[in-house]
Amino acid sequence: MFAALSVEFRKLNRSLALLLAVVAPALIAIFTFFNMLRGSAPQPYDIWIMSGSAIWAFFMLPMSVTALTALVAHMEHGPKSWHHLRALPLPRWRIYAAKTVCVIAVVALMSALTLLMTWAAVEIAAAVKPAITPSGAPDMATHVWTLVKMLAASLLLIAVQLWMALRFQSFVPGLALGIGGTFFAVVATSARAGVFMPWQMPVNMLTDEAWRAETALAIGGAGGFIALVLMVTHLSWREVR
Amino acid sequence: MSALAVETKTLTRRFGERAVVREVSMSVPERSVYGFLGRNGAGKTTTLKVLLGLLKPSAGSARLFGVDVAKDRLKAARKVGALMEAHGFYANLSGRENLDLTRTLLGAPRSELDRVLDVVEMREHANRHVSDYSLGMRQRLGIARAMIGAPPLLVLDEPTNGLDPDGIADMRLFLSALPERTGATVLVSSHLLGEIEQTATHVGILHEGRLVVEGSLAQLKAGLAPELAIDVDDFDRAGALAQARGFSVQRTPEALIARLQPRDDARVAAAALNRAFVEAGVAVFSIAHRARSLEGIYRDAAKVGA
Repeated sequence: MFAALSVEFRKLNRSLALLLAVVAPALIAIFTFFNMLRGSAPQPYDIWIMSGSAIWAFFMLPMSVTALTALVAHMEHGPKSWHHLRALPLPRWRIYAAKTVCVIAVVALMSALTLLMTWAAVEIAAAVKPAITPSGAPDMATHVWTLVKMLAASLLLIAVQLWMALRFQSFVPGLALGIGGTFFAVVATSARAGVFMPWQMPVNMLTDEAWRAETALAIGGAGGFIALVLMVTHLSWREVR
Repeated sequence: MSALAVETKTLTRRFGERAVVREVSMSVPERSVYGFLGRNGAGKTTTLKVLLGLLKPSAGSARLFGVDVAKDRLKAARKVGALMEAHGFYANLSGRENLDLTRTLLGAPRSELDRVLDVVEMREHANRHVSDYSLGMRQRLGIARAMIGAPPLLVLDEPTNGLDPDGIADMRLFLSALPERTGATVLVSSHLLGEIEQTATHVGILHEGRLVVEGSLAQLKAGLAPELAIDVDDFDRAGALAQARGFSVQRTPEALIARLQPRDDARVAAAALNRAFVEAGVAVFSIAHRARSLEGIYRDAAKVGA
């Protein structure tokens, strides 16, 4: 399994998927930087960090997962490397499991970069315009824990998007689903049923309503894990013509 | 009887109601270069995919060195390296990095990379990005990848596809030398008869999913009747004269083709026909002996299979 994992991570070298992993959190940091510069008075430090996490969970995470899964799958679909991989003398589930772990690891990296880059953006903005230097110190442990819960709640979203991306050779079904899912998650933010949408589960980690957070975490995390196991099993058994 | 690298028995593969491979029983002797021939859509790639465990047989069996592919795919897969029609390389990585991925998955030592790169003479280009490679270089890299871990069987699906004439000539020499250089059996599919004729020791011809001919190339060619290509001023009279002497005759735009019996001496037959034509007042411009080629075997097989 370590060999398959090592191979999956090495495939990302100089890839668009890795570029995306850096660009998406950077966009949030850039937005935070300019948003801060618009202000004239200091805000609590936690507000800025939380705002970065909120943008990440609300919009950037589902869109990034959509793009990332499409790019990772297309690395195999594009050059038609499935035949080569599936003919090798190793259990096929390892190929798909390694790819799944790799995608989750990249999403975790993006979450960490979101936090780090947002913090850096706040520091740089404060240096550029001392009048807006945020008050207090950020509660980093709480922010890290929130991002960890967002990652756990996004497992179902990752499973759905990765399944689509790996199953279909064209990137259109996965992208259409991801864009559509994110759109409905955004427009149905306050809807009670929205909590059951995989694309909205991460942002529910920020809500004050305990039932929403718990439901999203339970379905997104546990449901996501089950869905990922089913995905690996299905993809390993099906024939790729 | 030599041991078999590949053996299928009444192998059948259907997609829905459509049978693409029909009761194919093929035998590939060890250390041979086996040319797997057939026109596009004949079922070659599907057969190879079954041999590689990528598709399950609908009926029958496929064995690699005695191991049933459907029953023990992992054990069978350890005995084979493959180059499929699509190369499956990652364009963002170098040739060496691509090979190293497969080496890692196979658990082969690092020294394997230089060994296989040397066999395909690609070592000096190994650090370039695959996106910069020509098609011929990609084919060679694909063969190098198939050889990692020194599998005793190499399956190459249309390795000359898309190559220019020089690339085809290089590939021909390379494939012919492979069994001697690596000790491997080579199963190569192609629709280019001329290339296989100069490369293979054995052939199997697939026509509409059925294996219609199989055997060593030398034996198959020995069983072929020679032909005479005749150029005269009156094809109709010459044809009638040749038929009257027991030759089967075929008219082409350029010549009259008289097919002899397999054991006939072509020179004696040519002299007899020439005499008959001259005595009948037919002007003879040329009578040339044509050795039958793999194309002849293929055409005969296709007729039988149709």
